[in-house]
Amino acid sequence: MKILSRFWWILPIIFIAIYPFTLGGNSPYKSGVLIFVGIYIILAVSLDLLIGYCGQISIGHAAFFAVGAYTSGILTAKYGVHPMFAMLIGMLISTALAWATGRPVLALKEYYLAMATLAFNEIVITLIIGLEGFTGGASGLGDIPPFKIFGFSLVNHIHYYYFVWIIVFFIIAGSLAVVKSSFGRTLIAIHSDEPAARHFGIDSPRYKTRLFMLSSAFASIAGSLYAHYMGFIAPDDFGVISSVNIMVMLYLGGIGTIYGPILGATFMKILPEITYQFQDYELLINGIILIIVLVFMPKGIYGIILKAINRVLRKV
Amino acid sequence: MNDVSHIIQFLFSGITTGSIYALIAVSLVIVYKASQLICFAQGEFFVFGALSMITLTSKGLPMPIAFFAAVFISVCIGSLIQQVLIKPIQGSSVGNLIVMTIAISLALRGLALIIWGRESYILNPYTKGEPLFVFGASLQIQVLWIVGITILVLLIIWYFFEKTSLGIAMRACAENPLGASLMGISVQKSALFAWAWGAGIGALAGAVVAPLLFIQYTSGVMPMIKGFIAMSIGGLGSIAGSVMAGFLLGLVESYTIGLISSKFSDTIVFALLMLVLIFRPNGLFSKS
Amino acid sequence: MKGSNDYILWVDNVIKTFEGIHALEHVSFGVKKGHIKALIGPNGAGKTTMLNAISGLLPPDSGSVYLNNQQIAGLTPDRIALLGLSRTFQLVRLFTINNATVLDNVLLGAHKHLNPSIFEAMFYRGRMKRKENEAKERALNLLKFVGLEGAEDALPGTLSFGNQRLLELARSLMTEPKLLLLDEPASGLNDAEVESFIKLLLAIRDKGITILIVEHNMKVVMKIADDIIVLDFGKKLAEGTPEEISKNQQVVEAYLGTQKNSCKVEK
Repeated sequence: MKILSRFWWILPIIFIAIYPFTLGGNSPYKSGVLIFVGIYIILAVSLDLLIGYCGQISIGHAAFFAVGAYTSGILTAKYGVHPMFAMLIGMLISTALAWATGRPVLALKEYYLAMATLAFNEIVITLIIGLEGFTGGASGLGDIPPFKIFGFSLVNHIHYYYFVWIIVFFIIAGSLAVVKSSFGRTLIAIHSDEPAARHFGIDSPRYKTRLFMLSSAFASIAGSLYAHYMGFIAPDDFGVISSVNIMVMLYLGGIGTIYGPILGATFMKILPEITYQFQDYELLINGIILIIVLVFMPKGIYGIILKAINRVLRKV
Repeated sequence: MNDVSHIIQFLFSGITTGSIYALIAVSLVIVYKASQLICFAQGEFFVFGALSMITLTSKGLPMPIAFFAAVFISVCIGSLIQQVLIKPIQGSSVGNLIVMTIAISLALRGLALIIWGRESYILNPYTKGEPLFVFGASLQIQVLWIVGITILVLLIIWYFFEKTSLGIAMRACAENPLGASLMGISVQKSALFAWAWGAGIGALAGAVVAPLLFIQYTSGVMPMIKGFIAMSIGGLGSIAGSVMAGFLLGLVESYTIGLISSKFSDTIVFALLMLVLIFRPNGLFSKS
Repeated sequence: MKGSNDYILWVDNVIKTFEGIHALEHVSFGVKKGHIKALIGPNGAGKTTMLNAISGLLPPDSGSVYLNNQQIAGLTPDRIALLGLSRTFQLVRLFTINNATVLDNVLLGAHKHLNPSIFEAMFYRGRMKRKENEAKERALNLLKFVGLEGAEDALPGTLSFGNQRLLELARSLMTEPKLLLLDEPASGLNDAEVESFIKLLLAIRDKGITILIVEHNMKVVMKIADDIIVLDFGKKLAEGTPEEISKNQQVVEAYLGTQKNSCKVEK
């Protein structure tokens, strides 16, 4: 039991590793579902850093998802840039945008911050739609080549599946390292009581901006991975609705836990695979499930699982 | 058409969309003040208002009755949601409240999908008649209905919150919940009335614009986001501010589309919103 | 006088108004190094406003504040904290989100020593861990010093009010302050707690930390203060040693007046 509580995280890694060889996971469709899960885990975890740990509500996370996807898409499809470089350039642009907007935007609180980030998301999307010569506009951008690494093209969906999940694990590990460090403690102080935190030498605008930059860089990576997987991207994938979906994953799983958003993203991406058979009832059922979770599980799915595990452990 | 007629044409369309934005912004503000939450399901009341009015008239109900019935349906839905779903989580974090209203909007949108399917609908104009021409700019009769009803509704709202004891009590509740509860005004009751108002006004906006726009189950998103903008530019908690911001937004949009660029009119509007939030967080029309 | 090295804090002609009401009017005073100075006065005299003006929470409208001969009026609280000033709050303000523990709270006091960065957290974990372990040792010692030994893993919310105050004190001491501002630290404590609190404050002074304390409890003030300043309606009423202050007719009147009023309110 003790071994299990220390090394439980190996189990999901084993599952991800063997999935393509079992459960029919080698079909492009089934591995594709898990690629989406991985990409949305990156988005949810990076948003959790911002909302769950630092208390900064954002309804604009998909803006950075878009920046990553379009930078990768445009540079590789139109200019033949190596996907690796394109991804790094996307990260740089996202980080720079977060740096430039961080101070004034994150000085806002609660709903004001929510509205400002929503506006930021819309600005990015309307620019993508408007600059159609460059981005393909509302009808989208196609012909994005598969990802390439060390001269090896990841055309095979199984290869890409492993590539995505290696990045997912690195981002989860990085996020955990950040939140469990004294940097993470600083974020919690800002979240709890920002004016008091400043009395302990915490330059909160600087810390919030740094975190915003990190979170945006992660979202940008997710965007690049998405663009190369889909081969075609359109502005609809990155709008406010998409930001809202990421936020829903967070609260569904349990904010401020990293593990919660992982569960939330997985749940939200697997749920439609189950409810799609209800066709027109799908949307209503998804909405009702979400309402039930929010009302009866205030700490999300992760909270419930933790509670159950503790109960079992106490009995053992 | 000459330049003057263009300018006037843009004025007409700006006032038309401005009316809708103002109504949605006001409905958002009323709910915000009473429940301290920005409701992401407000667009769904807009859709329900429009689509239920279309269905009721197609079943042979006269326009005025269908209109009031459509608004009444949303009032009932809004009140029910407040009682069953919002009341239990009142006072949780901003993020929680936002996600709850998002969940509600998904469920309502899903309900609309089941009832009306994926088709788009449009209503016949309230009254038949050729468009009027003013200095060469055309003015549809329905626009007169929209603007007229909007002004009437805004007057009723003003009267309710300024002159009736219930409205004054609701305002007191929003400004000082503890003090109001000490004076025997129930915060919960006030929130219930606010949701009824909010849902009703949202539905009304949908019902008046139904003859001008094709509406389907997803049509609520854009008007709601525009409502958010107007509400934020007006200072989040101000009814008067959000009305002014709603009309201003309609006009700015109409003139940027007409005179500058249809592609980037939304970019300009959202950039304006960010600037207002950063530099005048209490609203564009606030004193300090 | 502000040039004198005897003073760690020098407040010069500070004015603060809220919506046209003068909360502080031309207040000047100094705090000598190694002293415990008490700032007293009736309710609404502007005591907390003064602390907020010094610590940067609500900077003064005009006037100067010098910490170790350096002008700090107008600096942000974090800059002021880095210069060696720390404070506690009238209503305890601890960090509680995400199950932050007592130890986490004390460790936050070590922020300026840890100075964490994302880069370090991700790629230099060994170095960060070392710094963190040093800080942890210091934090545990401080918890012992204030009398919270063994409480490090508790959630702050589960502590008694008196212990929460002690935790706030430990957190402030963790910053290794030169000057400590305490806002009514003895309010809400019972008699036994007050006695041990007085000993604690004297021990802190003996470590060489200067204290400026706002306190209602005159028993505490008279026992520990080297020096007292009295504010009334935002103005300086008197300044001197405890004996001088207790004999000062104006102070006695100001206090008797409000004490009568407060008795009425209580009844």
